Amino acid sequence: MDATMKKKVSRYSAHIVLITASIFFMIPFVWMVSTSLKPLTQIFSFPPEWIPKPVEWSNYTNAMSYIPFFTYLKNTLVITFVSTIGVVISCPLVAYSFAKLRWPGRNILFIITIGVMMIPGQVTMIPLFLLFEKLGMVGTPYPLVIPAFFGVPFYIFLLRQFFMGLPDSLREAAKIDGAGEFRIYWQIMLPLAKPAVLAVGLFQFMASWTDFLGPLLYLTDSLQYTLSLGLQQFQSQKGSEWGLMMAVSTMMTVPVIILFFFLQKTFIKGITFSGIK
Amino acid sequence: MKLKANAQVVEQIESPKTPTGKQLKIVPKKKKSKWGQYKHGLLFASPWIIGLLVFYAIPLFSSIYFSFTTYSILQPGEFIGLENYKELMHDPLFWKSVYNTVYFVIYYVPLSIFFGVALAMLLNMKVKGMAVYRTIFFLPTLVPHVALAVLWMWLLNPGFGLVNGFLNSIGIDGPAWLGSETWSKPSLILMSLWGIGQAVVIYLAGLGDIPEDYYDAAEVDGANWFQKTFHITLPLLTPVIFFNLVMGIIGAFQQFTLPYALTQGQGTPANSLTFYVMYLYDNGFKFFKMGYASAMAWILFVIIMGLTAFVFLTSKRWVHYQGK
Amino acid sequence: MKQSKRRVGLLAFVFVLTFSMLLAGCSSDSSSSKGNGDQTTVTFWHPMTDVTGEAVEEVIKAFEKKNPDIKINAVYTANQGEGQNEKLLTAVSGGNPPDVAYFDRFEIGSWAAQGSLEDLSKLAEESGVTKDTYYPFAWEEASYEGKLYGMPTTTDSRLVYYNKDHFKEVGLDPENPPKDIAGLEEAAEKLTIKKGKKFKRIGFIPWYGQGWLYGWGWAFGGDFYDPETKTATANDPKVVESLEWIADFAKKYNVEDIAGFTDSQGSGAMDPFLSGQLSMKVSGPWEVSAIKKFKPDLNYGVFPMPTPTGENHTTWSGGWSVVMPKGAKNKEAAWEFMKFFSGEEGQKIFSGIARDFSVIDSVNEELGYKNDPILKEFVEILPNSHHRPVMTQGSLYWNELASAVENATRGNGTPKKLLDKVNDKVNKELKK
Repeated sequence: MDATMKKKVSRYSAHIVLITASIFFMIPFVWMVSTSLKPLTQIFSFPPEWIPKPVEWSNYTNAMSYIPFFTYLKNTLVITFVSTIGVVISCPLVAYSFAKLRWPGRNILFIITIGVMMIPGQVTMIPLFLLFEKLGMVGTPYPLVIPAFFGVPFYIFLLRQFFMGLPDSLREAAKIDGAGEFRIYWQIMLPLAKPAVLAVGLFQFMASWTDFLGPLLYLTDSLQYTLSLGLQQFQSQKGSEWGLMMAVSTMMTVPVIILFFFLQKTFIKGITFSGIK
Repeated sequence: MKLKANAQVVEQIESPKTPTGKQLKIVPKKKKSKWGQYKHGLLFASPWIIGLLVFYAIPLFSSIYFSFTTYSILQPGEFIGLENYKELMHDPLFWKSVYNTVYFVIYYVPLSIFFGVALAMLLNMKVKGMAVYRTIFFLPTLVPHVALAVLWMWLLNPGFGLVNGFLNSIGIDGPAWLGSETWSKPSLILMSLWGIGQAVVIYLAGLGDIPEDYYDAAEVDGANWFQKTFHITLPLLTPVIFFNLVMGIIGAFQQFTLPYALTQGQGTPANSLTFYVMYLYDNGFKFFKMGYASAMAWILFVIIMGLTAFVFLTSKRWVHYQGK
Repeated sequence: MKQSKRRVGLLAFVFVLTFSMLLAGCSSDSSSSKGNGDQTTVTFWHPMTDVTGEAVEEVIKAFEKKNPDIKINAVYTANQGEGQNEKLLTAVSGGNPPDVAYFDRFEIGSWAAQGSLEDLSKLAEESGVTKDTYYPFAWEEASYEGKLYGMPTTTDSRLVYYNKDHFKEVGLDPENPPKDIAGLEEAAEKLTIKKGKKFKRIGFIPWYGQGWLYGWGWAFGGDFYDPETKTATANDPKVVESLEWIADFAKKYNVEDIAGFTDSQGSGAMDPFLSGQLSMKVSGPWEVSAIKKFKPDLNYGVFPMPTPTGENHTTWSGGWSVVMPKGAKNKEAAWEFMKFFSGEEGQKIFSGIARDFSVIDSVNEELGYKNDPILKEFVEILPNSHHRPVMTQGSLYWNELASAVENATRGNGTPKKLLDKVNDKVNKELKK
């Protein structure tokens, strides 16, 4: 077997593995989309049917009039956008400081940063709420976005790992060239960590986009509500509106899928330190 | 375009290191004052230092204090010292929840790392249509938990579910899955592995950080796939594996949303899906025993902290940072 | 460097956009919640959507028409299920609760014990609202230690639904469903179709759906709580007997084989009764609208939960109420609204649209519930219905009983021992 032949075989086998695995990972999504197109009576059928018959597009239009879809969409977009920006600005800065800069108390603070994630949010939720109540922010979207500008431990830890992987020699060389710390960070280190920063941005986008408890606790005016609160409105004691709920769920995933589709390219490109590629 | 520009920057900076560089002799600058040395580090970290003090310090200290009281959210309660902790030691459901959670962590964390890395490597190959594959593997993380819970009960229904239907067709009599005390936790682990997409993204970003040069050099040396994987890819991926290990432990111990949605908070069957934080939640929000719940939270903290410290201590042996 | 300038420019742009968005996001809230001039605004939190949402809107409209000086600001707050009340809980603890909240009556006891609800006794007395208007269980469930904390609004009850076609198929009389436990068991056996290890159809699962131990315990003549001594009586011999019956049932049909049904969600996207895999099921009146919606051609009927003797049929009822959280600002206006909602006029509007039973018997009669062949059964049993004990540990008791049933059906301990344990645990907490 010659080399090109070998390559071809390995390529085909890669596709086979990927396609088989893909089928498994598609199931939840396909089910969601198919339910979103089913008439009510078919959702209950046994054995389950995958293909909606007839295809019920009206679930989508009904869902959008059942809840004030566009108001919720706008609110969700604002909160998601602002908090994503906050995270992308603050977290790399802090992570870089943990990874590459020296200052007293750095290691202790890093341990604390990881430590605070170990306490379940369920017990800190009430004191945090009381804090925002004192600050007069309950009933506004501020509690949902302001903390993002001060760093989130999960992302700080993640980005720190990436900055740790960048060679110190880059920094030193730039220093010798007379670059200030901020310039080194902004022009050299941050661009190199771009895949990780984008991943963090994506995670925060998803987290804010689907957050339920935060908006539930802090928003008190239904005009400010978000889509995930809207999703809840399809559930009632008299039986959930599964078709409508899945229609909104599907619509909610589309922006994330698009975002992911474009971002994932940056992961594959990678970076090279030697500047050859 | 941007990437190219970055590469140029890198090149410029790297140049002094080349043997021909003429600027190698640098007169060391005067020793800076301490503040001057530390200024930038503290400045860069300042948002988080403020954030920690404002958004974390008060809630965390309050919860420590609450753990010594009969605080009920609605009533401040009274100080009872270590009573909550003592009571927990004699609470059978507490121990059951510890058992369930540890069981989950022991299986889920290693499996998620194994499959996560494997998937990421698979998705890092250079074949056509990779963008689509990657998106597909990410899809399950986008489906709402309520929907996931229903879907899984559908798939795992012992009599009519797809999974047992498939097993049946190849001659295996499938178990009752979520209805069985023995199989409920494995079922949950299986479901959780479906949502591995987020970890895979992190691994992918990590793989993207590994310089192509290393592979090129290995290729020249005639290294095979195994050698490349075990001598380049995995070692250089360790910072990210380390991250996912620590976060996996933290996350798995706090497993809540999926089993809660799946069992409507009941942990059925026979409390075999009552996880630690589920029981904590019930105590805090249903039984008005937030003091008790806070004590649970801090016991959990000690457990996770112990494990994490262990991971950190061993990390020096197996985590390799390129930067060092 | 050109590049960095561009990036700074982008950053500045993003910042400006961010804050303008935030400002826009915040300006919208201040304008909406204020009434004009002399109007008092009553904030009302509720989890109702769909028809129930429409019903409450109509109630509010009628109320505002009658009381032009009061404006109701109704805010939907997600219904998170039993005992998941984080939003109200945080709001009360933050000292900034709504004036009125729609509230599960089941939780009135524990919230009142925490001092988180306003005592309504005096307001009720002054307005001449008395317990005679309501079903006894509804009023009692809204009271704690002799004081009134909520105004009841809706109720329900639990009966056994059965598939008439299945009955005909196996030679049972579809117009004469079982009355006693023995008859129920016999019917269940006849209806069950088993192929090898697998069930094609199950006759009955006592603990499925609304088959909570409360229902069976009362059906067997037991009791769960002694209000005199304020102690739980989970190990009442009759209750033990009912759990023993359930455990035997589970053993007979091998619980793991049927567990797949019992673990699907109560809200039921895949309800086995609707899909014809289950012939009988304990459920509430809401099932009627679900059947209408999802399986309109189902030929079914209902009968009271059988008892050992075939007599003294009973059930239990839950339902909702309106409460005034501690710290409510506009108490008088809020009370006016609560009184209206829970009064005959409000009840007629609400129950008429939402099709939930009213807590007032005459309203149910007037709305024709007693003429509907199915709903009639549910309404007629209401005067004999029980309510879950009003106590500080209602949720704990509920959870403990549920897991006792779970464990009993799976053979993890005898019913007697399990219920003894429940009793000890709950009474220990009650004494605190």
